[in-house]
Amino acid sequence: MAFTIFFFVAWFILALFAVIRKKLSLIENTFVFMVILVININWAWIIIEEMNVVKLTTEGMDYTAFLLSRSIIIPMILVIQLNLIYKLNTVFVFTVSLIILLLLTFLSTFFHVTDYIKWNLGYDALYYIFLHVISYYSLQLFRKTANNEVNYS
Amino acid sequence: MNLWESFDKNEISIIIMIAIAYAVIFLLPKKFTADITLLFLLFGFTIGVLHDFTIGGGLIDFYRLNNSHSYEIFDFLYYLLFAPFSYLFIYFYEVFRIHKITFIWYIIAWALIGVGMQSLFIWMDIIHFQNGYELHFSFPVFLMTQTITALYYEIVSSRFKVFKE
Repeated sequence: MAFTIFFFVAWFILALFAVIRKKLSLIENTFVFMVILVININWAWIIIEEMNVVKLTTEGMDYTAFLLSRSIIIPMILVIQLNLIYKLNTVFVFTVSLIILLLLTFLSTFFHVTDYIKWNLGYDALYYIFLHVISYYSLQLFRKTANNEVNYS
Repeated sequence: MNLWESFDKNEISIIIMIAIAYAVIFLLPKKFTADITLLFLLFGFTIGVLHDFTIGGGLIDFYRLNNSHSYEIFDFLYYLLFAPFSYLFIYFYEVFRIHKITFIWYIIAWALIGVGMQSLFIWMDIIHFQNGYELHFSFPVFLMTQTITALYYEIVSSRFKVFKE
């Protein structure tokens, strides 16, 4: 069941991204996506394999659901919210994005894709807030790099 | 998480290769704007991380990096090697003015270079294959990633200013 749900969510998030009016350019979206993806992959590895505070499933299909969440759903939600905060209320977009991420994390534990050992949803919430901040500042960094180039030349 | 399990052949090899790869980028004439350079350096790095943590770890676990299963600082440095790989790929894509016909040969050549680099990494004890993984499996992986990189670069270069003035 976890695979079907997470596959649908991944598809839905990508479809949503395809149809929304984007405030970021293609290269800005790609840059933010890759920054969040790299951080999220490393974070997942550290809390699961290094700190052993979260236990990951050993069942193939559930593991695929985890990969979809880690590598597509979470980074794409961060990219979409960044596109939306430039045309909607920032606090509203941030809150909805955080609630969706926590809901998906809850589903992941509900279906035992991941199981908390010495971990809770509060820590995940803090991590997701951190990701929102990083997404914003990585975009600023990228824009600054592009602007410096223009000023320089 | 360790800095390193033991400091020997693989660690020294990574340091030397990092130095060479980034020196080459630094010494080559600057062709691209700063944001495009940053974008494609991150592109290579991300592809390295994504593949390694997807097929090289977790449930699939086709290979082990360096001396231990746990995360070492030299694992991270190894991923940094993928950044120049991607940059040089688009750099020579422009140098050789790759077009529709040469596209195919260019991708095949880079996929072979990728497999060659990986056999070098095996010899240097940086990568250790396990669970039935064999070197030639990497050829389709490189074919796919290089094709995606080239197609993405085609889209980016058609829509954005990619060259320095």
